[in-house]
Amino acid sequence: MTSLEATIGQALDREAAWRHRRIAVRTLITALCLFVLWLAAVRINFSFTSVVLGAPGMADVFGRMFPPDFSYISRLIAPTIETVQIAVWGTLLAVVASAPLCLLAARNTTPHPLVYSVVRVFLNLLRSINELIYALLLVSAVGLGPYPGVLAIALHATGMLAKFVAEEIEHVNRGPIEALQAAGAGRMQIILMGILPQVLPSVVGYILYRFDVSIRSATVLGLVGAGGLGFSLITTMKMFKYHETAASIFMIIVLILMADWISGRLQKKIL
Amino acid sequence: MSRVTDYAAVQPAPTLADRAKFLAFLLIAAAFLGWSANALELSPGELIHSMPVIGRYLARMFPPDWSALQGLWDPTVDTICIALWGTVIASIIGLPLGILAAKNMNSPAVVRLTSLTILNVLRSISELIWAIFFVAAVGLGPFPGALALGVNFGGILGRLYAEAIENVDQKPLEALRATGANHLQTIMFAVLPQVLPQIVSYNLYWFEVGVRSATVLGMIGAGGIGFELVTTIRLYDFRQTSAILIVILLLVTVIDRVSAILRRAIVK
Amino acid sequence: MNMNVEIDHRATKATAPELNAGPVVSIVNIGKTYARGNLVALSDVSFDVGRGEFIVILGPSGAGKSTLLRCINRLAEPTKGRIYLNGKEITDRRRELRDARRQIGMVFQQFNLVTRLSVLLNVLSGRLSYRPTWRSFFYSFTREDRAIALECLEMVGLGHKVFQRADTLSGGEQQRVAIARALAQRPNVILADEPVASLDPKIARQVLKYLKEISQRLGISVICNLHQVDFAREYAERIVGLCQGQKIFDGPPSELTDDILNKIYGMRAEADGD
Repeated sequence: MTSLEATIGQALDREAAWRHRRIAVRTLITALCLFVLWLAAVRINFSFTSVVLGAPGMADVFGRMFPPDFSYISRLIAPTIETVQIAVWGTLLAVVASAPLCLLAARNTTPHPLVYSVVRVFLNLLRSINELIYALLLVSAVGLGPYPGVLAIALHATGMLAKFVAEEIEHVNRGPIEALQAAGAGRMQIILMGILPQVLPSVVGYILYRFDVSIRSATVLGLVGAGGLGFSLITTMKMFKYHETAASIFMIIVLILMADWISGRLQKKIL
Repeated sequence: MSRVTDYAAVQPAPTLADRAKFLAFLLIAAAFLGWSANALELSPGELIHSMPVIGRYLARMFPPDWSALQGLWDPTVDTICIALWGTVIASIIGLPLGILAAKNMNSPAVVRLTSLTILNVLRSISELIWAIFFVAAVGLGPFPGALALGVNFGGILGRLYAEAIENVDQKPLEALRATGANHLQTIMFAVLPQVLPQIVSYNLYWFEVGVRSATVLGMIGAGGIGFELVTTIRLYDFRQTSAILIVILLLVTVIDRVSAILRRAIVK
Repeated sequence: MNMNVEIDHRATKATAPELNAGPVVSIVNIGKTYARGNLVALSDVSFDVGRGEFIVILGPSGAGKSTLLRCINRLAEPTKGRIYLNGKEITDRRRELRDARRQIGMVFQQFNLVTRLSVLLNVLSGRLSYRPTWRSFFYSFTREDRAIALECLEMVGLGHKVFQRADTLSGGEQQRVAIARALAQRPNVILADEPVASLDPKIARQVLKYLKEISQRLGISVICNLHQVDFAREYAERIVGLCQGQKIFDGPPSELTDDILNKIYGMRAEADGD
């Protein structure tokens, strides 16, 4: 029987070797990450001093914003409603546009692999471009107002929604579909009876989430002239009416928290 | 003897009140949509009318003018750096607040509510609005952009972290408390190991989102590729716009792929 | 599987608790009532635990066994009564509680390991209460801690699994790691809350045997909750029978007659029958 001390001694040595190797690997990875971060910091002129030096300026702006001019809120009701309307219609148009696109972009429902690839690339294109860029382009095409905002949200949301639904369709349970095929159901019947019921709950949940995101985006579309609360925010700011800007920001926070709460409640109800 | 199912008992017919409620809901929804469409000047006619206008604009984007790529390297790298530091700052802000805001971490009610409120305010104000303030404070450039992303995403990540922490398995925490470990030790040994994969995965995902956001921060002078993009649009140089859009598309696609691979590798 | 339990006698010296003539744990009139619904989980339970004693608390599920154990190290707050550890009352004052908990190891039904960490770190986490907080930020321990942790793993026969992640081990092995974690605290008492309820009988015997060896060779008292009568008879030095929060038996297994068993398990059946 070997002595316990000897066994423990050996184990300690083994543990030390193992630990030192781990520490070495981790140090190396950490150093690498820090180096990349440092390079990035240099690139973006990261500086604490400018934060410290800028703090009084920031405090000054906030100081001029307080207290928010709550009487201005009565004039923010209309833009708030407009923001909601932009989000609702943007999401709704995206749902309508996604319905055919998602079928084309799912491997198991697409009529042809070529169609699949083309639609996927198209959806990626829609997704990668920010709502604000769409809004900027559309404002210069069709003029100021909420209309380009609706289209901007719809375009981006279509890319997101159609891709999400397409992936849900691809991950659908094959069993019920084979049963329908065996019963001689047609393509459309399979989609309606076999696929739709399976993906519906997650898709509805995602649409609600998308609506939430759309509200968020709709609050800033105004920065490029596409309507909503962002427009009040940027115009009051440009006129140096900071108390009114503060009221706009307050309204944005209220709106987003409310949308968040409502969509959370609805999602819980569905699931 | 055959028995016939009593369908009325299995599924009672909807009452008149139920039907009325459903009908009322449909009517209200339809009325709201119609009223909204009217307010937004959204109509099939308008859609059809504006399509050729938009089409003409699209046509002016082709073929892309690749000369726009000159000098585009720097803003592109800036965009990635903004997203990178934005996510780092977001984690630094989000992690402590998320821990304090999580229900099962037993912070005093005042502390928990304060952190929740801070997180809510941070995430409700879009990174673009934050960027306006930070540009005012520290001047033009990519740095305020990174700060803005960091503050906004800090609010979002903090809430996600808090949710992740609320969903951890409580049993190991109890075991560590039973050994006499204190609060911070319990967090380090029982909470963090459980939530770390999720935190990493969230960070990578929000880095992706950050890259997409950073492409527009330039619009308000907060650095990145957005500045070049806006300039070409303001100058009606749409062929250059399309070239830059293609660069953004490639950038976002590559980042998506890389982050998807990393996420799969890390979350085992 | 190796059913032979070998705990080296020389390990005993490092673990020997300070000699003290009195009972290790005294439970005096402990009671717990849940505020909601006035549910009485425990009423006026008292008994002493001697040094190195292996006590089984026997009773059907819902008898208050788990609550009793949790009241000892204050994972649950008793509404009534006192608990003494080595003659000193355990209170809920933070520093004192930390000192008390350090001397009380606990083993759970679901093992309660941090499954994503290595076996070694899980055992080392039993040493946390001895070390300052800053060390935990770096997952750093002293050489002494590591030696103790490795020794405890050897005791439960898992020295070869040190570096594996805890979730790669079987249930029985995970429970042995949990025992090693409790041992690493250098405790005076180990509380085992249904330690074998999630294990199959063969592995359960092995785990109970380790706990028994610990009490005999290292002089650590073990208070073990069980609901299986045969295990209790086989391993206990003394059995405390609980039913509906009341102590209705306290004595060696030989005195545990069928009559008393009927009382422990039957009262509940009658109550259910009403």
